[in-house]
Amino acid sequence: MTKNDERLPSEKPTIGEHLKRAGFSRRDFMSLCSMLMVTAPVGLALTDQTSVTKIASQIAKTKRPSVIWLHFQDCTGCTETLLRTSKPDVADLILNMISLDYHETLMAACGSQAEASLKQAMQENEGKYILVCEGSIPVKDGGQYLKLGGKNGIDLLKEVASKAAAVISMGSCASWGGVPSADPNPTGATGVDQIIKDKPVVNIPGCPPNPYNLLGVVLEYATFKKLPALDEHNRPLFAYGRLIHDHCPRRAHFDAGRFVKEFSDDGHRQGWCLYKMGCKGPQTHAACSTNHFNEVPDCWPIGAGTPCVGCTEKAIAFRVPIFQLAEIHGATPPETFPGINARIGSVGAAAAGLAGLVAGAIGGAAWVGSHKLPGAAEANDDSKANSTKAGGE
Amino acid sequence: MGFTRREALKSLGAGAVGVAATSLVSIQAVAAEPESKVAPKHAVGLLYDTTRCVGCQSCVAACNEVNNLEGDLRADRIHHSAQDLNSFAKNIIKLYRPAGGTGYSFVKQQCMHCVDPACVAGCSFKALTKNPETGVVGWASSKCMGCRYCEITCPYHIPKFQWEGWNPKIVKCELCKERLAEGKEPACSTVCPAKAVIFGTREQLLAEAKRRISETPGKYFENRVFGETDGGGTQALYLSHVPFEKIGLPNLGNESVPDKYLKWQKRLYSYLAVPVVAYATMVAVIRKNWDDHQEHMNEEQKRTGLRPQL
Amino acid sequence: MIGFWERNVPVFDVPLRSRALYVLTGLFLLGFGLVTYRELAGLGPVSGMNDAYAWGIWKTFNVMTLTGLGSGGFAVGIAAYLFGRKRLHAVMRTALLTSFLAYISGMTLLGVDVGRPWNMYLVLMPWRWNYHSPLLEVAVCMPLYAMFPLFLENIPPVLEWLHEFRPNFRPLIDKATKVMAKFYPLVVGLAYLLPAMHQSSLGALMLLAGERVHPLWQTPFLPLLYVWAAAFMGFSCVAGTLLFCAIMWKRPMDLDILQELGRITCYVITAWLVFRFADLLVNGKLPLAFQFNQYSILFWIEMGILTTAAITLYDSAKLKNARMMFHAHIITAIGGMMYRFDPTTLAFKPKDGAFYFPTAMEILVALGFVSFAIAVFIVAAKKLAILPAPISYWHDYEREVLSLTPEPQLSASGQALAAAQD
Repeated sequence: MTKNDERLPSEKPTIGEHLKRAGFSRRDFMSLCSMLMVTAPVGLALTDQTSVTKIASQIAKTKRPSVIWLHFQDCTGCTETLLRTSKPDVADLILNMISLDYHETLMAACGSQAEASLKQAMQENEGKYILVCEGSIPVKDGGQYLKLGGKNGIDLLKEVASKAAAVISMGSCASWGGVPSADPNPTGATGVDQIIKDKPVVNIPGCPPNPYNLLGVVLEYATFKKLPALDEHNRPLFAYGRLIHDHCPRRAHFDAGRFVKEFSDDGHRQGWCLYKMGCKGPQTHAACSTNHFNEVPDCWPIGAGTPCVGCTEKAIAFRVPIFQLAEIHGATPPETFPGINARIGSVGAAAAGLAGLVAGAIGGAAWVGSHKLPGAAEANDDSKANSTKAGGE
Repeated sequence: MGFTRREALKSLGAGAVGVAATSLVSIQAVAAEPESKVAPKHAVGLLYDTTRCVGCQSCVAACNEVNNLEGDLRADRIHHSAQDLNSFAKNIIKLYRPAGGTGYSFVKQQCMHCVDPACVAGCSFKALTKNPETGVVGWASSKCMGCRYCEITCPYHIPKFQWEGWNPKIVKCELCKERLAEGKEPACSTVCPAKAVIFGTREQLLAEAKRRISETPGKYFENRVFGETDGGGTQALYLSHVPFEKIGLPNLGNESVPDKYLKWQKRLYSYLAVPVVAYATMVAVIRKNWDDHQEHMNEEQKRTGLRPQL
Repeated sequence: MIGFWERNVPVFDVPLRSRALYVLTGLFLLGFGLVTYRELAGLGPVSGMNDAYAWGIWKTFNVMTLTGLGSGGFAVGIAAYLFGRKRLHAVMRTALLTSFLAYISGMTLLGVDVGRPWNMYLVLMPWRWNYHSPLLEVAVCMPLYAMFPLFLENIPPVLEWLHEFRPNFRPLIDKATKVMAKFYPLVVGLAYLLPAMHQSSLGALMLLAGERVHPLWQTPFLPLLYVWAAAFMGFSCVAGTLLFCAIMWKRPMDLDILQELGRITCYVITAWLVFRFADLLVNGKLPLAFQFNQYSILFWIEMGILTTAAITLYDSAKLKNARMMFHAHIITAIGGMMYRFDPTTLAFKPKDGAFYFPTAMEILVALGFVSFAIAVFIVAAKKLAILPAPISYWHDYEREVLSLTPEPQLSASGQALAAAQD
């Protein structure tokens, strides 16, 4: 963990200068910027710029924003995701684009040194640092299920957030509770935005999310001093504005009705749609389908052949069984087309039988009845019977 | 005593003459009316060109979304797979595939928004009405009694009924009239990537259709646009490279259905003149017979002491 | 079994409850139960109607066909009151009752068939009407007819019953009867005008279906042919009912009146057949009848039945053969029903691949409503003076029923008989 330079804040180097000093090639930086363009089809002001060069020059002029990273009830996966970048070695790059002033996993200090480090970071960048939270905060029983240095999680969060410029919840746990919040949620795990109400909180759900989601938000803030456009759950639209289903590489198989029925069956081997295996793509907002993990193509759940579990969605992840079918909103037509005249209508056996029965009954009754009537021969005999006539006409 | 057959026939004959005279008068009155309906000045519509449609069905998905229809999921519960327009689908793409193998065509089906719609003519309580400005044929649930006469009369088989549920509606394309009110285009023409279906005023669309025909003679069937005069004219126009009948557009002639079939009904009932005269004549004849009958019944009563049965 | 019909007498010598009545009641209760299901679940689950055949037997049969049979009041009434066939007054009440019951049952089923019946109140608001619609004409005219002139014409037997069995009402009923008698021609005039209008409008309904009705049936004269068919169907229904009641309750038949009914029916059918063929000939459609397909076969079956009917009616009338008359009227009814039904369903082709057959539930509901009408007819015929009979039957009725009521009003001979017995 690099410490801050012993220079005045106003004299801190820009990202461009820092990168240069760190020995990063311009090529690596450019490919990072193009990754940002891919990540963010909508919503990042950075990418209003029309070319990678322009983005690069914009970022290069920015001073590294200070970031304080707190862990709560987490698995550290979100930190790992930040580091799991390889081609180029962007982990380092990221750490050079932001000034990560406090991070329990990555910093060298520990114990009272670590606490002092936190205090110093908060003081020096008061009102300017970005607080990134990883992990959920237990609120049950006075928050006693998480204590760091004697302080419980709720108090710690409130204290550090009070002096932050913006708060980012990294990962599903910090966004809405994540795995610890699964039924029966014994610790009362909740997201950061349930506790911090007086500051803007950006949620970056995912388990873990793609690191570029975080990077895009932080850089946008640093460059333009504003957060990117957010949806109703405070998730950046550039990463969460679209369903996986609407941009899935296997969508053609869905539309054609080619589904995997069992893992390792023929369809699975050919990469068919995983909807019937419980894929929650149709209900999940995330960018994983275009921005794969570890910069390895197809390195994401569906690409690897497992159904999406909806890890970004509070209503889905760790609540809805993995193999339960997702609801499709806005069903789309299949590949096949109906003909000009569709077949419609049929006759049921019961109905036909009943109709026959009724017709037969009526016919039979009429037949029997008619034979009770006098025919020609009898008519003349009866004409004199029962013929009292009261008067003429 | 009594109304002889001759006298009855005389009265009825007089009545018949009266009826005939009144009929002639009312026919004259009707003849003075404008003969057939024309499209409103600002009539809007769609022009669909089969040669441009690629069968992507974006228009189907967009129509469902804009109209809040969940789609026809009856086949596999996953895909919207309507086999025809129905209560789940206001718009559909069908495929005409001839036996030979070549010469296929997609066709988009939705309400034709006829200039003189049969459905509007038949609807008893004006649930289906034609907007006087845009010419869009819309349906109002508050006036519909669900008799399905519109399904019987529409020559294009467009209005569909919800057969399930206690509160059934008539479902058909209404040219996204809420979007029109906001100055937008209908959903289908907005999303079509190939511009196979386009939106505009009827005049504009007819001009465009004719332009296309004149630029590529022989390309379009009969070198004409369907809906210009067919069935009295429609506001959803079609250009096709295959015979219109093959893509489900019937041969209707140039008269609208109401004009062709309801002429005499309109004349006979105009101002209710014929019924009134007929009634008056009948009452006159009946009165004579009735008085007669009453006389006879009174005589019977005197003779038998039995109370007369009316 | 032969006798003159001189007075309307209830069928008092037969017990009210019978096996037939139980069966009919059971059927109509079943039908009504299914109606509840239809109201809750919609039309789809109960019937075989679909988007191609949007009208099923409830509309096309119970309303469009059976009200044709129920045009007895219209047909017999016109013969009696416009053409002065006085003899037919004896059968007027039977005709009127069959009409009333056919209309009531048909229109109630119409209310079941429409998908949004709560909007039917619009029929009472003329400013909401589309005056060009044939269906509007039917929707307004049929209820108006059934609830006003036809209803009033059916009131007299009820008033009589009240007069006989509820002495308190007698002065009121006498007054009411006098008032009715004064306005009767106006009411009766409506009773012929309105059915002429709506029975023809039932035909006009299929006009708007245009090309979808096969050309052998589709014609601008469809309304005329429909009302004309209603006329002969009405006669056959009345005559058939009279004959059937004579069988069931062993009542004498007045062969003269039956002969007249048969003859009139025969003339009406013959003229109708001539007109129908002439219309096809003049419009050049007759060759279609010789193409070998389902429609031409249907056409010839229809025409064959009606021609047979006309011939049988003529012969049976000439021979005064009651059995033959019964057959003739049944054949007429079948032929007439076929003609009215075919343009709506069998000769109606919305598009290729479409098919309709009623479901079992649909049939049961239709049957239930018809059973209702028949059951009410049976009860009415037994309690009220509807069916015609010789005078001696009235005297028997007086002796066995009326004289036992408090304050009986008897005829002169009845009083004499009663006096003799005391």
